[in-house]
Amino acid sequence: MKTKEKEYAIIVKDVYKDFKQYYDKANTLKEKLLFWNRNDNEVLHILQGINLKIEKGKMVALIGTNGSGKSTLLKLMTKIIYPNKGEIIVNGKLASLLELGAGFHPDFSGRENIYFNASIFGMTRKEIDKRIDDIIEFAELENFIDNPIRTYSSGMYMRLAFSVAINVDADILLIDEILAVGDQHFQDKCHAKMKELKKQGKTLVFVSHSMPTVNEFCDEAVWLQNGKIRMIGKTKEVTDKYLEVCR
Amino acid sequence: MKLFKDLYQYRELLKTNVQKEIRGKYKGAWLGIIWSFLNPLLMLMVYSLVFPYIMRVQIPNYTMFLMTALMPWNFFTQTVANSSFAVIASGSILKKVYFPREILPISVVLSNVVNFLITFIIIIVFLIFSGVGISWTILLFPLVLIIQTLLMFGIAFILSAITVYARDVEHIVNVIVMALFYGTPIVYTIDMLPAKFQTLLYLNPMTSIIEAYRDILFYQKLPNFLNLGIITVISIVVMMFGLWLFRKLQRNFVEEL
Repeated sequence: MKTKEKEYAIIVKDVYKDFKQYYDKANTLKEKLLFWNRNDNEVLHILQGINLKIEKGKMVALIGTNGSGKSTLLKLMTKIIYPNKGEIIVNGKLASLLELGAGFHPDFSGRENIYFNASIFGMTRKEIDKRIDDIIEFAELENFIDNPIRTYSSGMYMRLAFSVAINVDADILLIDEILAVGDQHFQDKCHAKMKELKKQGKTLVFVSHSMPTVNEFCDEAVWLQNGKIRMIGKTKEVTDKYLEVCR
Repeated sequence: MKLFKDLYQYRELLKTNVQKEIRGKYKGAWLGIIWSFLNPLLMLMVYSLVFPYIMRVQIPNYTMFLMTALMPWNFFTQTVANSSFAVIASGSILKKVYFPREILPISVVLSNVVNFLITFIIIIVFLIFSGVGISWTILLFPLVLIIQTLLMFGIAFILSAITVYARDVEHIVNVIVMALFYGTPIVYTIDMLPAKFQTLLYLNPMTSIIEAYRDILFYQKLPNFLNLGIITVISIVVMMFGLWLFRKLQRNFVEEL
């Protein structure tokens, strides 16, 4: 059983996640003591019993309408949040691109921010030194890399962030519908990079609303609906069914 | 054990975080860093005028007597003050990316250790120039520092995690720290108190630590190793409890922030 589990990059076992939505949150001890019996929150059941196994080296897409729990599932996989029930096992180093530019500091130069950002992903200075030229080259920011990033356009900012994340040498990469930004040229480049990563045997999980992209890249698709898995299987079958229902 | 492995892997993040803590406290480069040492020295000046001349405390070489206790105390209060906000201040990053959350309180403690080590050099300079001098007992300084640092880790874990859930804990902590300043033999010696208060004072872990610093630096004698041993055990227990609590509470950090 144990050796079997190692073949999977991510195993999601019967995961439930609730979010409490407060109308007026007691953030201080004073309020908690004074209004201890005030119970003005609503519990949202975001994920209800998700079971999912992602094989190593596969590219898997998460699809579904807004609010179906795709992003929540990704956040659970990266351990930003934890499930209320169930368990998630991750085999290998994981990097996530949920929001671009985590830890970017606008007053520092692009180069310095590469170091900040990459260190958050758990890279050491040596590893970053080795990668920095690749990162700058991929982002196509050779001429601007020593300018403070507050002077960057949003496209440059995005390219830099994506370039760092894709170069962190993770075994598993989680990407949350961010590829949509950037011009056609850069998107093509990202797609080429993703194919390359796939060839290297990396596992990719990504959220996307673009069915053509999903069809092009993914081996498998997982369709989430209202916090449950509606369908799982070969990409084409799932996306066809999904588009049929959505129309 | 997993924590050590994580910390090793994320050492670059830990390092930049510690640097940021040290530099960020006082914006601007050199003049700012001077402030972090001028501040306690000015405090020292005020106290060394107030207690001997106004309160009539009769202790020879009072300024050095005070300094050898006040500076470690400063390390304590600074860490307590900074650790309350360790997690909250990084709220936006916590929401975006995973890294071992323990790094946040740990870098607060480590940056304060660095600050204290620099202060320690100033203490040595003062000891030499005031005529008190230094003796071999100063070699025990790392031991006492490690014991205090363990305690600080525990407190930083607890405070940084609790503050996420209740933002006003800081105010309560401020009052406690202020009271503890007088509940620790910093501006006086413990034998100036009636016997029954003396035992009460030893319930405060900082009492034994401050006394140990003063023994090795000012009186230049061996510290009370029994007290130091007890406080080592307490510090380790506080640290383990702090780590346990932090891990338990960190699961919901992102939802609480």
